[in-house]
Amino acid sequence: MFKTTLKLTTALAFCVVAGAVTAETYGPYPITVKGYEGDKANSVSYSGQIARHALHDSLKKAAGKGDGGANAAEVEAMLLAFFNGSDADLDIMAPASKDGYPVKQATVNAISKGKNISGKFYDGAMPAWPGDVTGKEAVLHMIKHTAQSNGGFDAENGMDWGQLISKYTMGAMMYNQAVDNYLDEKLEADNKPNNKPYKDGAYYTGKEHSWDEAFGYWGGPAHTLSLSPEQAYGIAKQKDLAAADSNGDGVVDLKSEHVFGPAYYAAGADKGGTKTTNYMHTIMQAFVDGRKLITSANGEALTDAQRAELKGYAATIESEWEKVLAEATFKYAGSVYKDISKMGSLEGEELAKAYRNYAKHWGELKGFAMALQTGKNNLGKTAVDLNRLIGYGPVTLDNTYVTGVDADGNFLRDRRMTWSDYQLNMLNVQQVLVDTFGIESRANDALADLEGLAGKLNSEASAETD
Amino acid sequence: MDLTQTFATVFSDFADPKKRIFVGYLALSMMIACLWLFFVKRRSLRETFARVFDRKVFFSKSALADYQIFVINRAFTLFVSPLLITQVAIATAIYFALHKQSFISSGVFADANKALVVALFSVTLFAMDDLTKYFLHRWMHKWPPLWSIHKVHHSAEALTPITVYRVHPFEGVLYGLRSAFAQGLVLPVFIFAFGNTVDLYTVVGVNVLVFVFHVTGSNLRHSHINISYWPWLERVLISPAQHQLHHSTAERHFDKNFGAALAIWDWLFGSLHLSEQEEELTFGLPSEEASATNLLDMYLRPFSDTWRYVKRRTKKLINLIREPQKKPE
Repeated sequence: MFKTTLKLTTALAFCVVAGAVTAETYGPYPITVKGYEGDKANSVSYSGQIARHALHDSLKKAAGKGDGGANAAEVEAMLLAFFNGSDADLDIMAPASKDGYPVKQATVNAISKGKNISGKFYDGAMPAWPGDVTGKEAVLHMIKHTAQSNGGFDAENGMDWGQLISKYTMGAMMYNQAVDNYLDEKLEADNKPNNKPYKDGAYYTGKEHSWDEAFGYWGGPAHTLSLSPEQAYGIAKQKDLAAADSNGDGVVDLKSEHVFGPAYYAAGADKGGTKTTNYMHTIMQAFVDGRKLITSANGEALTDAQRAELKGYAATIESEWEKVLAEATFKYAGSVYKDISKMGSLEGEELAKAYRNYAKHWGELKGFAMALQTGKNNLGKTAVDLNRLIGYGPVTLDNTYVTGVDADGNFLRDRRMTWSDYQLNMLNVQQVLVDTFGIESRANDALADLEGLAGKLNSEASAETD
Repeated sequence: MDLTQTFATVFSDFADPKKRIFVGYLALSMMIACLWLFFVKRRSLRETFARVFDRKVFFSKSALADYQIFVINRAFTLFVSPLLITQVAIATAIYFALHKQSFISSGVFADANKALVVALFSVTLFAMDDLTKYFLHRWMHKWPPLWSIHKVHHSAEALTPITVYRVHPFEGVLYGLRSAFAQGLVLPVFIFAFGNTVDLYTVVGVNVLVFVFHVTGSNLRHSHINISYWPWLERVLISPAQHQLHHSTAERHFDKNFGAALAIWDWLFGSLHLSEQEEELTFGLPSEEASATNLLDMYLRPFSDTWRYVKRRTKKLINLIREPQKKPE
């Protein structure tokens, strides 16, 4: 008996170890494009997207550089350099090397040259932002105000610019480009076909590279499948070098080893809330499966059946990614709710500090709610509901909130709302998100206390008659 | 579902410490009954056992009907309970509505002493549950259509712990809704005022006060062991003898002691009757009003009774419209 147990344990341990070793990675994949004569051996390429992640992270960091107006021009130029790209080789402000987490690339060009955010930014209607603006006009309006702010914070209007710009961009650039471009029209037969190079002389086919670009925007490292959500979270926070450094060279290669925005939020949803979701691995597996399928076509045009299967993976990625954005929106609606409760009993310095946190969470809430509206699907009434409930700005300390902008783009705050009413709005935001997207992690569920306790009561127990 | 599973589902209440007929509570009740008869009533050991395990009670035709109803109602409950409104639905609606009030804001007492809040919540929930039981029970006695349903319970001529399940399925539904309403009201108010400080003191998964109610012999309420309390205590807690008196066929006992655990509601609203030790009570209803043993009659009688009631009232209404000058009787 003991022997059998021992054997079983050994076998089990072996499986676990083997599993860890053989967890699939995104690439390397062989060159399949016909007629390529260069010396490349790996057809995977998405460094342009990683450069854009670095631009985005740096833009967020730079949003905190304003001193309240004196350096506005300088800060705006810096922000626009990250947004529009620059002829100069920009230093990466984030993620930059720090103690215990050395980063291989220090400049954007070291990842990829000539990249920007603006060229890949959603520019359709953006009714979530005041002033009848397009998606890009909205972010430029934010950038302008950011430059004039003190440390990226506008107490009067309750705006945390870094959070707003960053979370919005995770939708308007990464999510939009992936699900509404590369995983959408670029999967059609006549668009970037697999039997031709992506562009003349390229070492990858049209479909291979389209898929890689979508993967790049998602922001997960090549070895995502071997990471737990906690490890991915630690990498994004630059705290877990061991988990990041998959090739063991002691430095983190941003091109393949770091965790960026969207993947980070997928990991966050999986490791928080009800812990019942598996967004990060589901999305990653779909990317890997899709890429293997394309590779298996060996440089021939994809058949209809192959494209149908590929679209199936794309659909998984799209719907799971949308849920990740909805989970994040849900979480921050819960944070805003909690922050309001907390502020109720505070005064002076402590209140100011709590208000700063509240504005930060609101920025994340608003940014993610806007991100949700940049996808492939028109959210219709859901978008209108979210925009009304969240508003153009949070309820501020004098109970006013941003109701619009004047002709010069300055914020107007000509209405008031009670804290309780705004909390009720947050409850409704969470309700709308659950009803519309069927999300399950539900971190910071404002009804969790109520439902948890209700579960404990068990109404049947006292259904006894007498 | 195979046979064993069905069996396990039907009888699961005996294994569930959240239920009154959990075997542990039954055993404790038996022990209390024996101690009462032996030490207080000074019966011999033999008499004590003969009385507690009285075949004439447990195998009476009335009790046998109880057992059958128990099984039939379980099937009904399994089918119906998922259709009922839950306390969560009610609680959520009230919780949302509370945010529209301006006199109190959410989490306003979130820093209150945890132990105190939990105690207050446990007591409030228990009291609210008991109070709503009192009112529903009282209503079931006073309003004819509900009485036609509640009669099933009162037609029992012998009381056993299983008699608590001898109810028309509609009564079970009403009590379930009452419970959802009571909890759905208390929960959101506490969560709104105290935030996550709120919790329930529980033992084996039930409110500690419900647990106390069960371990102190809640099963003896439906039994032939007439344990009484001191008069002062019978004004606070309903003794088994007081509830048995509620089942009595004597007219002076009608519509008394509606309370479940607490007697204060009866005391407050004038329906309290202290226990009597002098005479042996008889239980049940006149045969023309309800059958003690005919299951078909029990399940269907409420429909015919209610139909007759509606007809009677309609007739009165029509008469009233036709001859408005004539005062209705």
